[in-house]
Formats: sequence, structure tokens, C-alpha cells
Amino acid sequence: MRLANWFTPMIALARIAWLRTILYLFVILDMHAFVRDTRDKGEHPGLYQPLLLARLLDLPKPSVANTTVLYVVLIVACLIGATNYFPRVAGWIVAPAFTWWVLIGMSDGKVDHDHLALVIALWVLPTVKAGRRGRRGLASYGDQTRSEAAGWAIRCVQISVIATYFLSAVAKLRSAGWALSWPGSAVLTWAIVRRPHPVGEWLLHYPWVLHVMQWVGIIGEFCSPVILWLKGRWQLFGALFFIGFHAANTAILLIHFLPTVVCWLAFAPLERVVPWFRQRRSDRDAREAEDQAEHGRQAEQQAGA
Amino acid sequence: MVRVGRIGKGLRVLVAVAGVGLLINGSVRASDDAWPFGPMSQYAMSVPDDAKIDYTRVSAVTDAGTTVDVPLNIEGAGVARAEIEARAGEIVKNPSLLQQVADGWARKHPDQPKYVKLELIRDTTQLVKGRVEGPPTSQVLATWEVRR
Repeated sequence: MRLANWFTPMIALARIAWLRTILYLFVILDMHAFVRDTRDKGEHPGLYQPLLLARLLDLPKPSVANTTVLYVVLIVACLIGATNYFPRVAGWIVAPAFTWWVLIGMSDGKVDHDHLALVIALWVLPTVKAGRRGRRGLASYGDQTRSEAAGWAIRCVQISVIATYFLSAVAKLRSAGWALSWPGSAVLTWAIVRRPHPVGEWLLHYPWVLHVMQWVGIIGEFCSPVILWLKGRWQLFGALFFIGFHAANTAILLIHFLPTVVCWLAFAPLERVVPWFRQRRSDRDAREAEDQAEHGRQAEQQAGA
Repeated sequence: MVRVGRIGKGLRVLVAVAGVGLLINGSVRASDDAWPFGPMSQYAMSVPDDAKIDYTRVSAVTDAGTTVDVPLNIEGAGVARAEIEARAGEIVKNPSLLQQVADGWARKHPDQPKYVKLELIRDTTQLVKGRVEGPPTSQVLATWEVRR
């Protein structure tokens, strides 16, 4: 039972509302900035090589017609989902549609590994029902009703984020025949030669720096599951470590992993945003009232003098 | 507080455990084909200190008589370098696949010089003791006279 409860912590519905807005808008950005060649593939399916999932589901070959429909449906459903009105209906459309979108985008012989957490997030978000009072739209961002269903969705996203790191350490061992030769190898030199740009090329003169970075990277990836059990400030440090890791990768190799980075927000207590603002506003109002009272007293005293 | 029922909870735990199982299976034995449950294998290989580093590019002769490096991205020729690298073997066997590069360029840049001849080129950089040694050497893998 304790195990089951670990998968379904009590988390406020407001966090789901924030994630819906952020992730559905992010999907629109992703379609234009990252996996942005899906419609091109519809025009030129020459290099199309369907992946396992596309073959299992017997998905049609990309065409101008089906990729254009997919594009329009995704944009509309994301915009609706992001408002938190009808988020579940919209979400159940976005999840399969975006999965297909990315599946086409990666069906050309190259698969990226930065979309796992985002795709899983899109599939779990629509499983969360609104609270008993059924707060929708704007009201949902402040909904403090704690829910196990919300907790499960959040937990799934968190596991997927961490899996992205931990499993990439596993892949490094596997590709070396289950040996630890990756961190001492010339992999970053190799990557920089193939993606030349000033910061990276400068580092080519200092291979030992690259080796240190490789060791820090793989140790961080192996230890990443610990973050699932850390709390508060320590969890924040863990998240910041990996966000720094992505910043370094971006500087050296121009590889940003933003679709994974945005999913780190599943760890953030977003449900506190609205109460924090309310608190600030009421503090300010109270201060203003006090100031006015003070002002009034001074005026009285002056009048009395 | 909203709890989920016993069945709802059981199903959720089952789905999560199955998902983790699929991910572990993918990482231990599957390939990229199993996306999204494949291994996280980007940059996962151990590159030896004396490796030859290959970099594949496409060079074009234009109808203006110039020789240019084809921008292999979506805005350039509409096809990414990674796709060309992944399919290099097929292109060597069947150079007509390069026609798509010329078509993509012509469609996206109608006012620029057209490509008349394309070459798939491999630049090789040699590592010695983990350091880059000298400039790369180039080899032409495939040539394609563009069809109009």
C-alpha cells in the first residue's frame, strides 16, 4: 500500500492547471521550433522510415493532407487545453495527435531523446478530473483541492524526466559492452568536431576539461533518481544541477533539450503561485490602509496644533 | 481532498510500473525504433582516442558556376544533416535520393542560383591521443547530376 501511495501522492489540482497551460503552449512552440519538419515530410515522404509504433498502429504515410489536418487539430486543441476550459477533451486529442506528430518528425533515421517526458505528460494530464466543486478556467489556477489523481500524473512526469537522465547513463554503459569507458573517452571531442562552434572549438585545446565534464555528467545521471525522494530546497538544488547541465550542453554543442527542461516544472510547487500573489496583494492593501490611517492621524494632529 | 478508488489506484500503479518496465526493456535491449521507449543513446558511445571522426556534407555546383556547401537544415534545403548521415549508405547505392536536396533548395529559395550537380562528401578528422591532428581529409561518396 505504501508503494501504491508513492505513485499517487496528494497534490493540489492547481499544479495540473498550470502545467496544462504551460505544456500545451509549449507544444505549439515545439511544433514550430523543434519538431518542425513534420509538414515538410508530408510534402516529401521520400526518406520516410516508419518507427515501430507507426508500424504497429499501421499509421498512414505522411501526406500534405494528413499532416496539415494534424497541424490544425493540434493548434486548436492546444489553445483550448491551455485555457483549462474543457482541458480533458482537448488533452485526449493533443496526446495522440502530438505523439503522431513527433513520430513522423523522427521517422527519418534519426531519433532524438528529449521528448519522452513531454509526450508522457500529455498522456497523463487528461486523466485528472476537476475537483468536486469543478473549478474550471481561471479558477483552476488557484484550486488547492489535493488529489491523488493529480499526484499520479505529476509523479509520472517526474519519473519520465528522471528516466531521461538515468537511462542515458545506462545507454552509455551498454554501448561500451556494459563497461565504464564513456567518461574517459573522446566523445565530447567527437561531438564538437561534428558541431563546430566557438566555445566548443576553444575547449578542444583542453581535453582534460572535457573529461571532467563527462565524469560530472555521467555521475549526475546515475544519481538522478535520488531527486525523486529529495524534498524542498534539496530537490531544487538537484533540479538546478540538471538545468545547469543543459546550459553547459547548449553552450558547447547547441543541444538544449528544452522539451525535457520544461517538464522539470512538474517538481515545482506551482500551486503556491496564486496564494503567494494573494498574500502579497493583501499585505500591500493592509500596508496602504495603515499608511492612510497614519496619514489621517497626522492630519488630525496638525489640525489640532 | 480527492482520493481515487481502489480500482483507479490499482490501474494507475499498474500503468506506471508497466511504463517503467517498457523503458528499462528499451534501454537494455531495444533500439531507437522503439521510440518513445527506446534507449537514450544520443552521444552514448565511447569514442577511442585514435578515432577517425566523419562529418558528412553535401556540396553543390550551381547554375551560376559557383561551388557551395548545401545548408543541411529545414530552412536551407529542407532536409537535416542527420537525415543525410543516417541514409548515407543508401544514397551511395542510389544517388538519385540527392534529387530531393536540389528540389528542396529550389522550392525554398526560388530566387537563388539552382543546384546543377551535387556531391555527397565525407570529411574525416583524425584523433591522436584524444586530440585533433591536422585538418580533415575529404572523400566524394556519391555524385548526382540534378534533373530539371
